[in-house]
Amino acid sequence: MKFNADEIASVIQAEIEKYESAIDVREVGTVLEVGDGIARVYGLSNIMAGEMVEFPSGVNGLAFNLEENSVGVIILGDYLQIEEGDEVKALGKLLSVPVGNAVLGRVLDPLGNPLDGKGPVATSELRPVEFLAPGVAGRQPVREPLQTGIKAIDAMTPIGRGQRELIIGDRKTGKTTIAIDTIINQKHSGVKCFYVAIGQKESSVANTIKALQENGAMDYTTVILAGASAPAPLQYVAAYAGTSMAEYFTYKGEHALIVYDDLSKQAVAYRELSLLMRRPPGREAFPGDVFYCHSRLLERSCKLSQELGGGSLTSLPIIETLEGEVSAYIPTNVISITDGQIYVQPDLFFKGIRPAMNVGISVSRVGGAAQIKAMKDKQVAGGLRLALAAFRELEAIAQLSTDLDAATQSRLDRGYRMVEILKQPQFQPLEVVDQVMVIFAANSGSLDDVPATRVQAFEKEFLQFMRDLRPEIRSQIAEKKELTPELKTALTDAIRQFKGTFAKGK
Amino acid sequence: MAGSRGKSETIDAGRQHLGTVYAKALLGAAEKAGQADHVVEEVEAIVSDVLNKLPQLDEMIKTPRLTHEERLPILERAFGGRISPTTMTFLKVVSKHGRLDCLRAIAHAARKQLNAARGRVEVHVETAFPLNNAVRDRISSRLGELLHRDVVLSTKVNDDLIGGLVVRVGDTVYDASVAASLKRMAQVTLDHTKQAIRESLDRFALPT
Repeated sequence: MKFNADEIASVIQAEIEKYESAIDVREVGTVLEVGDGIARVYGLSNIMAGEMVEFPSGVNGLAFNLEENSVGVIILGDYLQIEEGDEVKALGKLLSVPVGNAVLGRVLDPLGNPLDGKGPVATSELRPVEFLAPGVAGRQPVREPLQTGIKAIDAMTPIGRGQRELIIGDRKTGKTTIAIDTIINQKHSGVKCFYVAIGQKESSVANTIKALQENGAMDYTTVILAGASAPAPLQYVAAYAGTSMAEYFTYKGEHALIVYDDLSKQAVAYRELSLLMRRPPGREAFPGDVFYCHSRLLERSCKLSQELGGGSLTSLPIIETLEGEVSAYIPTNVISITDGQIYVQPDLFFKGIRPAMNVGISVSRVGGAAQIKAMKDKQVAGGLRLALAAFRELEAIAQLSTDLDAATQSRLDRGYRMVEILKQPQFQPLEVVDQVMVIFAANSGSLDDVPATRVQAFEKEFLQFMRDLRPEIRSQIAEKKELTPELKTALTDAIRQFKGTFAKGK
Repeated sequence: MAGSRGKSETIDAGRQHLGTVYAKALLGAAEKAGQADHVVEEVEAIVSDVLNKLPQLDEMIKTPRLTHEERLPILERAFGGRISPTTMTFLKVVSKHGRLDCLRAIAHAARKQLNAARGRVEVHVETAFPLNNAVRDRISSRLGELLHRDVVLSTKVNDDLIGGLVVRVGDTVYDASVAASLKRMAQVTLDHTKQAIRESLDRFALPT
């Protein structure tokens, strides 16, 4: 597009003509020392904690440490242009980020500046990055499900809107994939998604963004990126900035989902800042308030009361463990803050059980209330966790003894097929109706005579069959959200019918 | 700690803090003797007229190589008889504690504390052109009315301001300079124009 210079000039002229000069009053200080993303400033005697300051180069900072003789400032941006002796100006306001529909579909830095080359974020609405979580009166219990589209999770550790479910595990075990699948599955649910990448390789974030784009999930998703090369202050602030953008929708009565990938790196960034600020180190050299750093962040995820619009913010924080060590400082902290955890293990992952979720120690403390009745049914996911636990025990015993009685063998076979049916390839989330039908089929024993290697093919063809030939069952489950005895009979009948064709096609 | 750079005078937070402590003690002792103003003037004179002009002496009294006993005769010879006994004793006490390197900070802090105690306020005014006495007095009295205090005015000429003046009281800066005004106008105009263009792109597009 070509611009008309005269028109622009006339606008500028009008601006100049109506410009009114006022005395600029500012509170100032002087930079004493600067480095590694922090600055020590002399002066600024009336500044408050968390207040924004501006350096001459235009870079902003946050008052982080108020000491007797100086102020510790964390620098949100390029600190290499700041010199000793520079004048620092207090701005008298809190750090805010742009919010609104304009941020959806964008890749932004923690200050809301675009990183995707799609031009400025067209919104005038701002929201403070640090915001107090709603109190007890402003909340209500979780009651709507947030479908992840992953069978194992929706069946056994269901997540409700407003819940905080931790995804924890070693590196390369598919933690991010679970989160991305969940985002992809929100395509038709109207949930706005926010993916906060903290301290990650930019190449892996680029892959994530590509996956989101290819699956059409970028239309309702914002990526907030503070990569591995970003200074520690930005990595620290990123989580709060993303939450603030998501909260905008929550307080408007809508639903939002935020993924923090990952909070261990955020804690490390916070540790770096705190040590540079000479705050006393505690366990694992983390500062004493690293718990508060995470708790105040995750408390902002909530299900708001009807008076406040009933919006929700669901969060999926991710924590990376070292060699499965969940009793380290940060993992125990975040486990205790969240409403449950999905524990992913490398040995399961390499066995081909993907998602590599350890069913035994993964829990969801509040999500059960939000699960739909059809899924909660005894013949679907109701007894699944216990059945799988019993299977694991049996499997361990079976490894020791050679000859098993027929009953035990059949329970083992059922277990193997159950494990097989809970496997799911990435970026292929399933609708909850499909999940219910598949798990019902496996639970009813229809798979017992299907070889374990054919289970996934069975699942695929069965769902196709139901979609093409028995759509009324699907729509009824979707509508009633419950498996009535009639529906169960119809479903069993459909399974029998399908098995006839499936056996023939073998 | 901070090194030396030209933008403003070097600030060393640690020394500043020590300076306020010693200055408080100095003023306490001098007030008792009823000569606080005189003593502060003397300490300031030592810094500005002696130490600043004789860097070697400055280095000599600062160096940790000399012990207090070795330093005493130097102090006696340099200042003995020329300054009041209170000031002399104070210098000796500071020397005994090995804090003569903080003398500048002490002088600065003492002046500040004395001003505060006397209900005076330091105001720093920067202008683009040298001020004549009449204007100085007017600025001073007007500021005094506004701040409800006696004003101790210090001035500086800064060409970059183009016009107008910048008044600094403590950490607060009142910037009424032409330079700041122009800068702000540029920013406001840019912001508004950008917004206007974004809101109605077709108005600015050339007809094709």
